[in-house]
Amino acid sequence: MKKGMIKATSGFERLVHWCLALSCLTLCFTGMAMMYHSMDFIGDMMGGMGNLKTVHNYTGVVFGVALIFAIGMWWKEAGLFSFPADWQWISCAGGYLWHVDKDKMPQVGKYNPGQKIFFLVVALYGIIMCISGYFMWFPEGYAKGLLQNMYLLHALGFVLIFPFFFIHLYLATIGVPGSAPAMFSGWVTRAWAKTNHPKWLKEIEK
Amino acid sequence: MIKYIIDNNLIHEEYVKYYTNASFIVSPDFSFNDGLFSGFNQETGKYNKATWTTMKDEAGIPVRDYTLQDPQCVYQMLKKHYERYSLDVVSSVTGVSKEDLLTVYKAYGATGAPDKAGTECYALGWTHHTVGSQNIRCMSIIQLLLGNMGIAGGGINALRGEPNVQGSTDHAILYNILPGYLKMPTPSLQTLAEYNEKYTTKSSDPMSANWYQNYPKYSVSFLKAVFGETATPEDEFGYSWLPKMEDGKAYSIMHLFDVMLTGKVEGFVCWAANCAVSTPNSNKVRNALQKLKWMVNVNIFDNETASFWKGPGVNPANVDTECFLLPGCPTIEKQGSQANSGRLIQWAYQAANPPGDALSDGDIMMRIMDEIRALYAKEGGASPEPILNLKWDYRDAQGKFDAVKCARQIAGHYTKDVIIEDAVKGTKEVNLKGENVPGFPKLMADGSTSSGNWLCAGTFDQKGVNLMQRRGKDDPTGLGLYLNWAYAWPMNRRVIYNRASCDLNGKPYNPKRKLLEWVGDKWVGDVADGGWPPMANKEKGKYPFIMKADGVGSVFGPGMVEGPFSEHYEPMEGPLEKHPLSSRRTNPAVTIFKSEFDKFANADAKFPYVCTTYSATEHWCTGFTRWQPWLLEAMPEAYIEISEKLAGELGLKNGERVKVSSVRGSTTCVAMVTKRMTPFKVEGKTVHEVGMPFNYGWLWPEGTKDDATNLLTPSVGCPNTFCPEFKAFMVNITKA
Amino acid sequence: MKGLELVKLIDLSRCTACRGCQIACKQWNNLPASKTNNFGSYQNPPDLQWNTWTLIRFQEIEGQNNKVKWLFRKDGCMHCTDAACIKVCPTQALYHTEFGSVAVDYDRCIGCKACITACPFDVPRYDSVTNKIYKCDLCYSRLKANQPPACVQSCPTGALQIGAKDEMIAKAYKRAQELGDGATVYGDKYVDGTHVIYVLPQKAAVYEKLPDRPEVPAPILVWKDVLKPLGLIATGGVIGAAIVHYVTHGPKAPIEDNSNDQGGAV
Repeated sequence: MKKGMIKATSGFERLVHWCLALSCLTLCFTGMAMMYHSMDFIGDMMGGMGNLKTVHNYTGVVFGVALIFAIGMWWKEAGLFSFPADWQWISCAGGYLWHVDKDKMPQVGKYNPGQKIFFLVVALYGIIMCISGYFMWFPEGYAKGLLQNMYLLHALGFVLIFPFFFIHLYLATIGVPGSAPAMFSGWVTRAWAKTNHPKWLKEIEK
Repeated sequence: MIKYIIDNNLIHEEYVKYYTNASFIVSPDFSFNDGLFSGFNQETGKYNKATWTTMKDEAGIPVRDYTLQDPQCVYQMLKKHYERYSLDVVSSVTGVSKEDLLTVYKAYGATGAPDKAGTECYALGWTHHTVGSQNIRCMSIIQLLLGNMGIAGGGINALRGEPNVQGSTDHAILYNILPGYLKMPTPSLQTLAEYNEKYTTKSSDPMSANWYQNYPKYSVSFLKAVFGETATPEDEFGYSWLPKMEDGKAYSIMHLFDVMLTGKVEGFVCWAANCAVSTPNSNKVRNALQKLKWMVNVNIFDNETASFWKGPGVNPANVDTECFLLPGCPTIEKQGSQANSGRLIQWAYQAANPPGDALSDGDIMMRIMDEIRALYAKEGGASPEPILNLKWDYRDAQGKFDAVKCARQIAGHYTKDVIIEDAVKGTKEVNLKGENVPGFPKLMADGSTSSGNWLCAGTFDQKGVNLMQRRGKDDPTGLGLYLNWAYAWPMNRRVIYNRASCDLNGKPYNPKRKLLEWVGDKWVGDVADGGWPPMANKEKGKYPFIMKADGVGSVFGPGMVEGPFSEHYEPMEGPLEKHPLSSRRTNPAVTIFKSEFDKFANADAKFPYVCTTYSATEHWCTGFTRWQPWLLEAMPEAYIEISEKLAGELGLKNGERVKVSSVRGSTTCVAMVTKRMTPFKVEGKTVHEVGMPFNYGWLWPEGTKDDATNLLTPSVGCPNTFCPEFKAFMVNITKA
Repeated sequence: MKGLELVKLIDLSRCTACRGCQIACKQWNNLPASKTNNFGSYQNPPDLQWNTWTLIRFQEIEGQNNKVKWLFRKDGCMHCTDAACIKVCPTQALYHTEFGSVAVDYDRCIGCKACITACPFDVPRYDSVTNKIYKCDLCYSRLKANQPPACVQSCPTGALQIGAKDEMIAKAYKRAQELGDGATVYGDKYVDGTHVIYVLPQKAAVYEKLPDRPEVPAPILVWKDVLKPLGLIATGGVIGAAIVHYVTHGPKAPIEDNSNDQGGAV
């Protein structure tokens, strides 16, 4: 217990988060290196594209495992919308993009709907990435049409996940100052909680 | 086809009349009856050919009926002989549909037009029969009737090349000839004079060039080449030192193993051959090998012959044969000449050195012969002359076998200065000792020339340039003759008997494809087969077939062992109990061996399927290519091709393993079920044919359970050549 | 041949299935043999392999009047202009040479097998020992030395030829016309033209393992022509948007907490 601080995450949660985050980041960059020849330098940094592919493949395993824990831990909190409040939040983009009067903003719980969407995209599409990645890693014996669509899904995954991933990164750092400690120390300021997750704050302060 | 050509008058009439013996009158004593020609001796199984002759007038010139109407003339006799072979009969005997037969007849018969050409390219499919030579003979008759011999795009072409069969035949690999197709001496021909007398053909016809009247020039030049300085007129140029072949006896590979089986052969040098796989009735061969005291093999790989002593069913402890395997090298590891079907002799260069201890054939032969000569020189012996008098100086400066030196000796040279002066013309031709003889017309019977093979005289020009190395690509004829590419025997002629491509006045029958043409006072085009003017010149003109005593092509061919006209006979083993046309089912002149291994099962329910054999493209003969991983990968193991119908009857699936057996032996292989094989009807009976390659054996690839296809085949062959009947015999097939 | 866009013409009407090309290919490219069995066919190895870049396929069909036809087809890389393998290769190991052929840079290949999935002709093969894919490169080393590919060099019947693209295509059409009877030219109309062109005595559909209308597979097109640029746009877009957002909106700082401090009870 710290004064003026609120415990937002457990140590295990942070571990899973960072496993997921770092593996996702690695996957994005190594994946991009394989998709865009202009990013070959990433391969060079790893001592060649062969190493890069190995890193990508095994990072994928780490990502998959982390994803399973993440889903297990967060699906209830971050995977379920509560309507109509969440809908209202979404319709005003959480107040991030234009000015929204305070009274029109629904009270945000532990996770705002933006975070929930992010979680769902990562969770659901992460599974698809793992499955399609498996087929790409071990294509022997599968029909070519199936494999080709796996490549398609995998590429689509990047197109979807990276923007979400980046928005998450932005908002968790400079976009919403005070957020990052939730995943470092686990403690956030009450002020931050009140600003960003007032409903959750109320719940824990009951 | 002969009947079809005659019935539909498709012959090239002028050609047939003037360039063949179709107009000759056959002896009235000659006959053909119930599958036999006149003169057959039932006891010896041989023909007395006395009646197989054509008539000559009192001057010794053949009697001819140029109208081809005389019932005794060859043409009418031919017509009568083939009368029996109607479309229905041929279709029934061969199993080929009438439509297909007619398609071929029509297409080929059309080449009888004077300006059309047809060629026949054959290989072992035609020769591996007890009627093998007659198959070729039959086609020769067709080619003469259609005027297809001696013309561009015509002829009968044995497909020879890669194994250098043409070259080795030219240089006497067969037992019955000396190099250049000179005959083997026999004990009945005790002197050179007797020998030359017998084989120098005679003709009283002034129009016949009768080229073999020059025979003594070639035989004496050959002796000079073999014995060099020691060949003198006093010693008959060493004729008596030549080995003699018993009169009337044959020494083919089948005869060799038949005698070897009786234990009468002490030693055997098996050079670049794999007889335990290649020779028919391999069980007989493998048993015969065990009777040897010693055997020397020369090959580039171990093979089933060299290792017969550890083969299937053989206990090495029971084999007393001492075996040697000398490592030889293939053609690319040595230089020398190679001849193809067109008698084109090309010089081939060495591409790589032989590996390890391997040596070229020449080097191995030199080393063995050196030892033998040293032994004879030291110990004497029963007959040392042939060995010690042999000209034996084919080494280069490094002491290695010198193929060029050897080739020069084969080509020929002057053994002394020969100066020919022509007082009338005022010319003087000077030929110095040691210079190469530029062609066989210059060879002499007095010992002034030497030539190991008269046909090769000219392969080096007089200045010693190796013409086999020429690579000129100019071809003014546009026919693909390429006269400046290498050298073709005889005399660099690309088409032999080429004067037959022109009419009696020397004008080409096909003006669009001029092989030769008489222009002014000389022939233009290919190297003319003799420089004489066309036949219209009654004084100096000659018939075109100059190697024949009569100067014409033999529609009637008394040289054959089993008759001057070809006749259908069934194979020694077949599905039919009797001949469809006569009471002689098989070739009457065939030699049957009498050993315990020589068994036949004709029309036997135990062996109901016709089997034929062939080679896979990927493998060389008995398959030393099995040691080459890429080729083995492409064709890994023995197989038998079976029709879907037969596979259905036998309950066989494609790729299943089967046992194939004949009355002589058995082997295993993979069943290849294919649409390509189809059952056919012969004499109303459904016949199933199967086919096997002969490239496999027990030694390699490692772990193979299969063995040689020739365990199945009979040791019987064509009585002219003793080429075995690999192409038709009877087998049974069961699941392995 | 230097400086030309080349096409290898395979005139199947002249092919005798001697397989000289198959062996010559192995010889020039130093490809080892595999252990095989006769599986009831002359065809062997049974399929293209990492060490078998060209293969004669044997096929029996029943034509008119129940006459059996034995079809031979030399299979191998078609060297597409619009090459799916090059499109999908993550490392540019597959590339077009100056002759228009598709070669492999084995130093770059990472054995990802994407090309195997993408190839409409099912050509590239993977070797697990070296972890690379292998296929015909039209004997790039020989072409550079102004020599025909090993297969062409070995062909005894003239079934294989190589030459300038236009010349070969013209030759192919002339030959197909000569043959008549349903003979077709295959290759020039697909994937922007292949650099291997067949004269087929039968319709393309008759031949086993020869796609009737080969094309770069649709999923590959969507991936490479839509998603790949879209990925860049999305990536760039979101980064740009974040910057704009930060600049225009600024950080969303916590509002100073002036409510009752309850001591951070959790």
